[in-house]
Amino acid sequence: MSTRSDVNDENSGEGIMHPRPSSIVAALYTLRDLETDVVIIHGPPGCCFKHSRLLEEDGIRVVTTAMDEANFVFGGREVLKNVMMRSIELFHPKLLGVVGTCASMIIGEDIHQAVEEVRPHCPVIEVEIHAGHHDNTYGAIVTLEAAVEAGVLDAAECARQKRLLLEATELEKFAGVASREYIAPSRGDVKYSVATELIILIKEGKRGIIVLNAKKETAYQFADIVAALVEVSQDVGMGRPITMANLDVGVGLPRLRNHARNILDDLEKSGIRIDHLTGGLDEYPITGQVAGKLIREYYSDYDFVVLLGVPHAVPMKSLEGIKIFSVTNGPRQVLPLKELGHDFVVVEIDLHPKTLGVEHIVPSELGNTLRALNRGS
Amino acid sequence: MRMQSGNKKHIGIYGKGGIGKSSTASNVAAACAETGSTVMLIGCDPKSDTSITLLRGRRIPTILDLMRLGKDIKEEDVVFEGYAGVKCVEVGGPEPGIGCAGRGIIVAIQVLRKVTDAMNTSDLVIYDVPGDIVCGGFAVPIRKGLVDEAYILTSGEYMPLYAANNICKGLNKLGAPLGGVICNSREATNEEAITRRFAEGLGSKLIAFIPKVKIVQDCERAGLSVIEGCPRSKIAEIYRELANDIMGNWESKIPEPLDDEELRAILLQYE
Repeated sequence: MSTRSDVNDENSGEGIMHPRPSSIVAALYTLRDLETDVVIIHGPPGCCFKHSRLLEEDGIRVVTTAMDEANFVFGGREVLKNVMMRSIELFHPKLLGVVGTCASMIIGEDIHQAVEEVRPHCPVIEVEIHAGHHDNTYGAIVTLEAAVEAGVLDAAECARQKRLLLEATELEKFAGVASREYIAPSRGDVKYSVATELIILIKEGKRGIIVLNAKKETAYQFADIVAALVEVSQDVGMGRPITMANLDVGVGLPRLRNHARNILDDLEKSGIRIDHLTGGLDEYPITGQVAGKLIREYYSDYDFVVLLGVPHAVPMKSLEGIKIFSVTNGPRQVLPLKELGHDFVVVEIDLHPKTLGVEHIVPSELGNTLRALNRGS
Repeated sequence: MRMQSGNKKHIGIYGKGGIGKSSTASNVAAACAETGSTVMLIGCDPKSDTSITLLRGRRIPTILDLMRLGKDIKEEDVVFEGYAGVKCVEVGGPEPGIGCAGRGIIVAIQVLRKVTDAMNTSDLVIYDVPGDIVCGGFAVPIRKGLVDEAYILTSGEYMPLYAANNICKGLNKLGAPLGGVICNSREATNEEAITRRFAEGLGSKLIAFIPKVKIVQDCERAGLSVIEGCPRSKIAEIYRELANDIMGNWESKIPEPLDDEELRAILLQYE
């Protein structure tokens, strides 16, 4: 059980108004990271529909108990048991997850009892979660704790991830989507203009730093921008930019280590070497600080920096006097980044879906724009 | 919008669990129907036994049972004529400890409004709502404008009075008028005076004092209301008077709940 209460402040309606990631979805992605084969969502048929489909692209089976009005009134234990038994028959999972929703949790559904009655042959991660939590990371934390309880995650790794999730939460409150009452979505600066600006700087022989600080699998596309920038620099012949990336293959869950390995391999094939590994792919809330420290110590006289992924994780005080280019996949991240003082902010729209179910670097719009402009000039 | 159409009455009976809401509701329904008025009795308790004494002990299918079976529900499936033509309906609900009875009331009332017009055409519609108004679902008859006035049943004991006062907090919040307080006696000391003071404290009145008599339980055991089973008894007469008073009562007010100290003071005053 979680020792952290998420119900410490009364919601007076004076908080954040824009819709934001849900705790249930955070639980689903965490189960995927834990390499759960099948996840059963115990809730209405449409709950988490979009993310379920995306996750299925990523190789995990997501099914729903499709609770209806009668299940709300009379409870849905039998339905859950049936879906659990059918899923086991169909998919033969080695690890099963059951996730609550607003509907099943409000009526007090007992997930554990249903699992006890079905007695699956494999371990089951039972996640009692609904979407009524202000920080979506709460869903991930509850899932990690449930995984420890199910005996499929060791306590030290759980503790490490919980620390990171709390850091991530603070980061979002400081300069992310949780930093303001309402943030209108924005497409950021025009990629053509930003790519032009970057190519001018490279041609002028200005010295650049590229920081890949990406959240998990999103690195598959942000890494393409690293590649494009290095390619352009080599092509121009004005020296190579410094590269930093949170692609350490020695930390985190096996799945994430594989992603880091895949991306490093792809970069290496293009002749690109990362100068500084800042940490693992799940360490983005803290690896920004590592990058910042490196910049302050060794590269403070550089001319420009390109921050890819979670740009606000790199402290502003380490970037003084350096022109900042940021690339995010969050349309609501543009305004906070501009207000922090980032000179250019680019949005790679719908990036996340393109990075699910892949094992190689995925082309990005900014990367392709850089390459095309460079070829044209 | 609360529609008081002509002299039709739509009332809800509230009060602590076990205080006698169903007995009172069914006896009032029977008494009123006897005079030739059209009456409908809607039981909102998952136990589904509000109307059992109007149906000679027979249990009728509940709206939620049929819904659960995925049946296409028609009026004749859920509205049953009982003693003196009282139209009886049971909402039904889940087993204790499972699902959500409040949601059940919401859904069942939606179904009921679709399949029958009896709620609009009857002279008296009584909603028998379980316990305190513990969640939004139980407030639906009031919120949806189905109930024009509430009646609260209590004895002179502290706990039922406390529950009654809590219900008044709910009514106050919902802006629902209270028609009056009915004392269903448990033979507590100074019971009538206490419940009268309580009712007045709320800005309402004690509309009836129902003494504790064995006839009521005996008739219930036989699956009958006292109106049917013991029509000449004194208690039957009391229910008839209550039915008459409810039909002629146009002085409902939104209650002002008491605070705990005021409530205790009323009890202590009569010790």
